[in-house]
Amino acid sequence: MLKTHKELKKGGVTLRKLFLLILSLMLVVTFGSKSFALSKKSYIIAGTTDKITSLDPAKAYEYFSDNILQNIMGGLVKYIPGTTKIIPDMAKSWKISKDGTVYTFKLKKNLKFSNGDPINAKVFAYSIKRVIRLKQNPAFLLADVVKDAEALNNNTLKITLKYSYAPFISILAFTISYPVDPKVYPANKVYSGTPVASGPYMVKKLVRGQEIELVRNPNYYGKKAKTPIILIKIYREANNLYMALLSGDIDLAYRTLLPQQLQQIQKNKKFKTYTGDSPFIREVVFNVKAKPFDNAKLRRALSYAVNRTQISKEIFKGQVTPLFTLIPAGMWGHKNVMPHYSIKKAKRMLKALGYSKAKPLSITLWYSPSHYGSTESDVALMIKNQLEKTGLVKCKVKYAEWATYVDYWTKGVMGMFLLGWYPDYFDPDDYMWPFLQTSASPGMGSFFSDKAIDKLLKKARSTSSIKKRTRLYYRAQRLMVKKAPYIPLFQGQQHVVAKPEIKGILMDPVQIFRYYLLSK
Amino acid sequence: MKLKTYILTRILLSIPMILIILTIVFFVLRVLPGNPVLAMLGPKAPPEIIHAMEHQMGLDKPIIVQYFIYLSHIAVGNFGTSTYTSLPVLQELVQKFPATFELTFYSMIIAVSIGIFFGSYAAYNFGKPADILARVYSIFVYSFPVFWFGIMLQLIFGVWLHWLPVSGRSSPFMIPNHIYTGIYSIDALLNGQFDIFVDAVRHLILPSVTLGVVISSIFVRMVRSNVLLALSSQYVIAARARGESERKILFKHALKNAMPPILTIMGLQFALLLAGAILTETTFSWPGIGNYLITRISYRDFPAIQGAIVFFAFFVAFISILVDIINAWIDPRIRY
Repeated sequence: MLKTHKELKKGGVTLRKLFLLILSLMLVVTFGSKSFALSKKSYIIAGTTDKITSLDPAKAYEYFSDNILQNIMGGLVKYIPGTTKIIPDMAKSWKISKDGTVYTFKLKKNLKFSNGDPINAKVFAYSIKRVIRLKQNPAFLLADVVKDAEALNNNTLKITLKYSYAPFISILAFTISYPVDPKVYPANKVYSGTPVASGPYMVKKLVRGQEIELVRNPNYYGKKAKTPIILIKIYREANNLYMALLSGDIDLAYRTLLPQQLQQIQKNKKFKTYTGDSPFIREVVFNVKAKPFDNAKLRRALSYAVNRTQISKEIFKGQVTPLFTLIPAGMWGHKNVMPHYSIKKAKRMLKALGYSKAKPLSITLWYSPSHYGSTESDVALMIKNQLEKTGLVKCKVKYAEWATYVDYWTKGVMGMFLLGWYPDYFDPDDYMWPFLQTSASPGMGSFFSDKAIDKLLKKARSTSSIKKRTRLYYRAQRLMVKKAPYIPLFQGQQHVVAKPEIKGILMDPVQIFRYYLLSK
Repeated sequence: MKLKTYILTRILLSIPMILIILTIVFFVLRVLPGNPVLAMLGPKAPPEIIHAMEHQMGLDKPIIVQYFIYLSHIAVGNFGTSTYTSLPVLQELVQKFPATFELTFYSMIIAVSIGIFFGSYAAYNFGKPADILARVYSIFVYSFPVFWFGIMLQLIFGVWLHWLPVSGRSSPFMIPNHIYTGIYSIDALLNGQFDIFVDAVRHLILPSVTLGVVISSIFVRMVRSNVLLALSSQYVIAARARGESERKILFKHALKNAMPPILTIMGLQFALLLAGAILTETTFSWPGIGNYLITRISYRDFPAIQGAIVFFAFFVAFISILVDIINAWIDPRIRY
């Protein structure tokens, strides 16, 4: 064997050469070209864990798709960046009839899509009617209120409503109302090709689940985007996004790092963190038709036992704000009305209802493990512990994947469960009507109904004065406290982590992330 | 049986296999709770839109009717339209497949190289420290969870050393000018873009090493035991008696004769490799079919889930047929 081993070693010379060749190739590849063909200032690379479903305004109905549309398209009206104030966008001005049902818009002249096709009143009328006809998920926002849309001439658009509806202007600022090119977007079908733009950017390339490349729209009528190219890289999980950020693969991360990752990176001097309020809210929903949650006193008792501050501090590291009503802070109409944490009151109320240590209240709290991020199980467990701290409650925790979860709550299977809400339009109506109005609340799984609240909400919808509407919403919120169909938990925050050289990051109260303001 | 007849028989036999997989996936998806329309439209959708969508997707028909409609579509190569993106599933799969293929192919090269090198070296040095080391290695890496190993490599080579990218298939704006195969490393060379080739390989290193190393443990053990068996056979003793060099004995006689069972295992490992690719793709945000499948499962995108699994089944069937043919070619003793 010894002799032959030598022979093997002889032969090993070629093996060694091969090994060295592979090693040198690997070195070339590892330390090889890292340079890009473009100058560094001409592009910004953003990272996200969000996914795109559709970029057709008639179908888009989740945050990221809408946010991309807000950067590549425009509507009749828009929000002033950094505020909740609405101003004309493609419209020059508008008039509302005395009864609040007819809106007449004068459009700006010479508006064009990115492909050169004109944007006029006919295009707007076509787009609104198309949304209603296609009956996609967000269609009800227009279909429920719009009776007709017609072009009086090239620059005048008339929209007739079924009834006076105060938040209508806010809906016109939402992506559902953006005009689409009739030559490209079919009248009877959702369009899944590359979007035709009318905003500061246009989509150059979209690889689903991988990346989106935005380039300046040469036909945009407004101020041109600050950076010629924005590349948004899509990551599957927060860990991937975090790694990409730390390794320098991306310039900024927007939605969504885990709370502990965010806390960690805030200490890292190589990055700057931006934080702002988000209109996103989280709540516990009670199915008021299911026992034992059909008792308003019991629901109120449980809401006293929930310690929102502990949830915010311990799970979210202070990155969310406790919320005591459904309308988020920062929005007119907001009033903190729900009871604050008081275990004494919770105990007293539960005892009054006949529960004791020997005969505790037995309930189940449901959650969905991935839809709201990996912190969700922690939230559920913390609420369970808080409720059980009263000594009068035995709380089981159960979970279901999102598709099952949606099915369960619409069928009324779950009596008490965690849910979240992101608004369609920035108006208190969108935080009250879907939750509390008799016809809308089954969609939320609460099946709540109260005639007095219904009346107030209907009146608030048709009243144009914000002062009067604010008063109406205050009253509705006070009535809600007595019935406690929900336990509002917290209001989200939006966070962006970026390299220090990235400028123009704006934490918008309506949470429109404006890529067109970014620069290096 | 002639080779042609054998191949034809193998192809025909794979049809019931695919049909069984398709049937199981179809019914399991429908038995599980969760309405795909609700998952797609979310909590804000009004009931009339939900019903309209269910009707449009044919979900209001009896399951058995849905099944036969699906079968008739698959028979003509129609995988349906994704409920999540409204795009044809086949088009999406064809777009994603090159990424998965590229990853699994390079991982297989790494796994096989490590397996042949360590395995034959360990067998040759039976009972010596090198052998023990190879055995410990194979047990050690076999117990690695793919995602954990991937994250470790990302941390070391991406975050700390900044040597290699941690995710994706390419750097920004570094995609081959013309896509011929969808396999970036090949397309870059076909386009003569060496910088893009280097970039594509840099992106491939961490995910394919992750998957390749984890899978290599099986190959190390397989090669070791097969070469060990071959080294103790009479033809090796005869070769030694003839005075042939040990290198020749190891590589020409022992390893070559040990190859057919290794190749069979290699074919089977492709199925395991695809399963591993799902985790690797998730860890490295690799835009392949694995990533696609995981995303679509959470959206109850029935056509996409069914399509991806059937696509995997076709691929595994194809590889196993291919391996049988190569086996026959390597070892003429194999008869059908």
